[in-house]
Amino acid sequence: MTSWRVDSENPDRLYTVTGGRSRADENSLDVVSLIVSECEPTPGMQSEHVRILRMCHRPTAVVEISAELGLPVSVVRILLCDLLDTGRITARHPPSAPAKAQLPDLEILKQVLVGLQKL
Amino acid sequence: MSAHTPIRRLAERPPMGQVLLVLPAAVIITGGVCLWVVAETPAAGQTLVAWCLGAAAVLLCVTVSFAVYGAQRTRHLRDRLAEMDADVARLADDTLPVLVQRLRDGASADTALAGIPKPADRNQQRILWTLAQEVGKGERMRAAAMSACANAAGRVQALATSMLADLRAMEDRHSEEVLGDLLKLDHSTAQAGRLADSIAVLTGARSGRRWTKPIVMESILRGAVGRISAYQRVRVHSASTVAVAGYAAEGVMHALAELMDNATSFSPPSEEVHVYVEDVSAGVVITVEDCGLVMSAAALSRAQKAVSAEPLDLTTLSGTRLGLAVVGCLARKHGLTVSFRPSSRGGTGVVVMIPQQLVTQVARSPRMDAPRAARVPAARPARPVAAAPAETSTDDDLYGLPKRRRGQTLAAASPASPPPSPPPPTAKTERPHSDPGARFSAFRQASRGGGPTTPPADDTR
Repeated sequence: MTSWRVDSENPDRLYTVTGGRSRADENSLDVVSLIVSECEPTPGMQSEHVRILRMCHRPTAVVEISAELGLPVSVVRILLCDLLDTGRITARHPPSAPAKAQLPDLEILKQVLVGLQKL
Repeated sequence: MSAHTPIRRLAERPPMGQVLLVLPAAVIITGGVCLWVVAETPAAGQTLVAWCLGAAAVLLCVTVSFAVYGAQRTRHLRDRLAEMDADVARLADDTLPVLVQRLRDGASADTALAGIPKPADRNQQRILWTLAQEVGKGERMRAAAMSACANAAGRVQALATSMLADLRAMEDRHSEEVLGDLLKLDHSTAQAGRLADSIAVLTGARSGRRWTKPIVMESILRGAVGRISAYQRVRVHSASTVAVAGYAAEGVMHALAELMDNATSFSPPSEEVHVYVEDVSAGVVITVEDCGLVMSAAALSRAQKAVSAEPLDLTTLSGTRLGLAVVGCLARKHGLTVSFRPSSRGGTGVVVMIPQQLVTQVARSPRMDAPRAARVPAARPARPVAAAPAETSTDDDLYGLPKRRRGQTLAAASPASPPPSPPPPTAKTERPHSDPGARFSAFRQASRGGGPTTPPADDTR
């Protein structure tokens, strides 16, 4: 693991990417929140911001951004908070899970499972 | 030098020659004068006069001889003194510098002594020998200390590099709660790595690591900023898109880090340090400006001298301030130009010029997944994927598995032409059975004289 990383690493350390912060100010961003960019990147921006803005022309989840940038989710969240604060992106929260009453009954699910196993 | 020896022997012999000439002459002259005077005097006082004159003549002869001998000896000694003076001057001006230079170049004391003309004087020989021993010992100590330092620094560098890689992996793996602590450790490790790099640079060892690809200016600046303690006080103003060649990137980062460290430590903790990047035709100019104290003219010239093109003089190192010496070494190595000037912000500004040879332009792909392609190790040869879409050709090669992207079905993602498959397994299993039979039937046909081909299969068994 180490040798591969050493060969392909960038000299940027994560604390220089986040400016020393390790925690996002805002906790509203979930890993599955969809991010949409609202403007084009301007010259002089941090390269991660530029890439996020380019990437999020279509709604993109926070985890996907994290995977694309190769950065931990918490770091991406800090970067996204910066962009949110300046209004360059908007976040759309996924619809919450359906209410418990709408889910099929647990007993029926169990029976389906048993039926499937008997096949 | 051997020609001096007979001269010296002659010179050392007591100079009696003139005395031997003068003494008989004086005896003859005074004897003659005495005889003449005695002959002229009346016979009454002749005996007394003869005695007196004889005594005076002997006294005169002895005095003259001594005087001549003394004069001769003085002249002789003066000559010898002049000769010794010349010898010592030759020793100081010619022999010793050559000797010391040979010792500095790594020759042992005996080798160095054998290569220089040997002085005739035994005392000078002893001086030379002692000096050669001592200087040689000093040189050996210096070389040993340097190599020990370089070795230790290299080990610390390797440790720091692997620790940084491990920390980065941990930062990916662990959650937000641990991230802050990991970042702190990361920062400390990066600073320790810079210190080890500094020692390595000063001892002439290789610098920390080599990057195999050009590093963009933003990463260079971040890499530099990340190695100093007060990195949060540095404000970077850069819109530059150029990159620095991989072999020089580490040196440039290190030099910038040292300059930024100086700027942050010599300015008030409340003030920020500003870094400006400007692309010019001759390269890239990076300016580090602080709001600290203005350096005096003497301090400016001292700083300028430390980073100038003169080779490093270890005696000018002070124990605590290595930064500018390190910058000087790196500047000489990579051809950077560093100059100091009073800053418009009230402090000191340092202008670093990265020459055009070290600067490359990075083709920036507008596609957002271009950086992913860059992550693939260059050493792994890309397997030709004939008709597969270009987008899937990079990451899929890593693991040999198709990878579905957003908005793409799995069937589309899988390579359109699978890798060349082995021949169908049926052909392989039949081969051992049919092959001997076919050969045998061919043999039989040949022996029969080319009859119609018979089916080879079953009757051979």
